[in-house]
Amino acid sequence: MLSIKNIYKNFGDLKVLKGVSEEIEQGEVVAIIGPSGSGKSTMLRCMNLLETPTFGEVWMDGKLLTPIDPYLHEEVIKASNTFKKMVAGGMEEETAVKEIKEKDLLKEKFSAAEGKEYGALMKKLYKENYIDINFARRDMGMVFQQFNLFNNKTIKENIMLAPVKIGMQSRKQTGLTKQEIVAAAESKAMELLKRIGLESKADVYPSTLSGGQKQRIAIVRALAMNPKVMLFDEPTSALDPEMIGEVLDLMKELANDGMTMVVVTHEMGFAREVADRVLFMDDGMIVEQGSPAEVFDNPQSPRLKDFLSKVL
Amino acid sequence: MDLGIMAKNIVDIIAKYWKVFLVEGVSNTLVLSFIAVFFGTVIGALFALGKMSPVKPLQWIITAVVEATRGTPMLLQLYLYVFLLPSMIPSLNDIKNADWICVAVALVLNSAAYTSEIIRSGIEAVDKGQTEASRSLGLGKVTTMTSIVLPQAIKNILPALGNEFITVVKETSLASTFFIGDLMTSYLKVKGINYLTMECLIITGAIYFILNFILSKILVVFERRMKARA
Ligand SMILES: Nc1ncnc2c1ncn2[C@@H]1O[C@H](COP(=O)(O)OP(=O)(O)OP(=O)(O)O)[C@@H](O)[C@H]1O
Ligand SMILES: [Mg+2]
Repeated sequence: MLSIKNIYKNFGDLKVLKGVSEEIEQGEVVAIIGPSGSGKSTMLRCMNLLETPTFGEVWMDGKLLTPIDPYLHEEVIKASNTFKKMVAGGMEEETAVKEIKEKDLLKEKFSAAEGKEYGALMKKLYKENYIDINFARRDMGMVFQQFNLFNNKTIKENIMLAPVKIGMQSRKQTGLTKQEIVAAAESKAMELLKRIGLESKADVYPSTLSGGQKQRIAIVRALAMNPKVMLFDEPTSALDPEMIGEVLDLMKELANDGMTMVVVTHEMGFAREVADRVLFMDDGMIVEQGSPAEVFDNPQSPRLKDFLSKVL
Repeated sequence: MDLGIMAKNIVDIIAKYWKVFLVEGVSNTLVLSFIAVFFGTVIGALFALGKMSPVKPLQWIITAVVEATRGTPMLLQLYLYVFLLPSMIPSLNDIKNADWICVAVALVLNSAAYTSEIIRSGIEAVDKGQTEASRSLGLGKVTTMTSIVLPQAIKNILPALGNEFITVVKETSLASTFFIGDLMTSYLKVKGINYLTMECLIITGAIYFILNFILSKILVVFERRMKARA
């Protein structure tokens, strides 16, 4: 459902992601673990384009969120002047493709230099597959370590803001009136607050709440958009120990309801209990992955063994 | 210096010329300051937006204008605009208040340079997480700015704008170089009649002080209200 293909991310000279690919299936709960600075957050943030990948593609539900990465499409490589010259020079097609990929030979910045056919194909692929990022994000909820509730809005307003704004934007298609949109958003917000037992907080501002309450509200704020996948970036790391449980419980509930979830976490117990799959990242790459039993009880790579010996 | 005589002189001057000081001077100073800060804020906001836009040449031009303005004396800028504008717009020479208009333009642009920095830093002081949360929900840049960032930035911006107003009230005194009727011009006029320099300075200074004292008190009340609401 959500897939990232050969993602590289550089911050200036710092190479943070070094070619990660992953496919998140519908209904799956994927936990991402790894040492600090290994690129876990960056990878998660590339999934909804809060960070723009330097290379690679992100796909959500068969729709493309990033520009086309020519190296991921053999037919594009074959349309390039670079490829044509190599083949004309007597090289095997397969070898030429391989060499172009390995040595990064396409002149992407000057796509004119790769000829009309190349440019037209890039444009066609993009047109056929691309989706506006603001549309795509409606299907991808995100929960942050620091909660990031809107300070200038009450709890209810926090939850209602996106459904109302986006409901108003698509009013032409739905034919709903403003009152109907607001009423629907409000009843949904109250229903979500009831679910987490915080209806009484509907009209207060975030600054008056505990960390655990804030994070649970951040979660239902994302749920108000009925997302297909939820991305969590260390949702319990900023919490006092006694509040971690309430947030993890809500996340377990979501997982049991069949929500597709990607969770960067230091809570190994949670990963073991709830995740279908655990990814171990180190130094900008996914080093090892598997079921919780495989990753925690039978680690293969020395780096994972070393990491687990420190955190377990 | 006889303090008794001086006190008597002050009372006499006030009795005779209070209209020059209060009606002409204070009103001109306040009107100029208000124009400077109001239009300065509007233009400053545009500068701030331009500087935060991804268009590089726009950023460079605005940075150049802002830094040139902040790096040169106000008085120099007043001379520049009073000299420059009439030569650029010849019809200005036919207007009686041409100098006043040139001075106002200079003050507005000077104020814009400072307020643009106030607005920009006020916006940048809003936690980036607020923007990220909004964007992650599928809200666009403009909605995020108007619904989330600006309402929070205003709380940083308004108090600083109040201080800018007080600074401008004092800076308008430089405009008296061109005799455009502000409070300092009143001083020059009255002193030119009676040659009582010290007395006139004391009166003018007292009026400036009271003006700014009242303004800063209003500001404090305003700030407290805003904090209480947050
Ligand atoms: N916006 C940025 N600009 C520059 N460097 C960044 C930026 N964001 C992250 N980095 C760097 O990228 C590297 C990976 O960061 P990332 O936040 O993805 O790690 P992480 O695995 O999530 O670590 P942690 O467990 O500490 O959260 C770090 O060295 C970090 O300093
Ligand atoms: Mg992180």
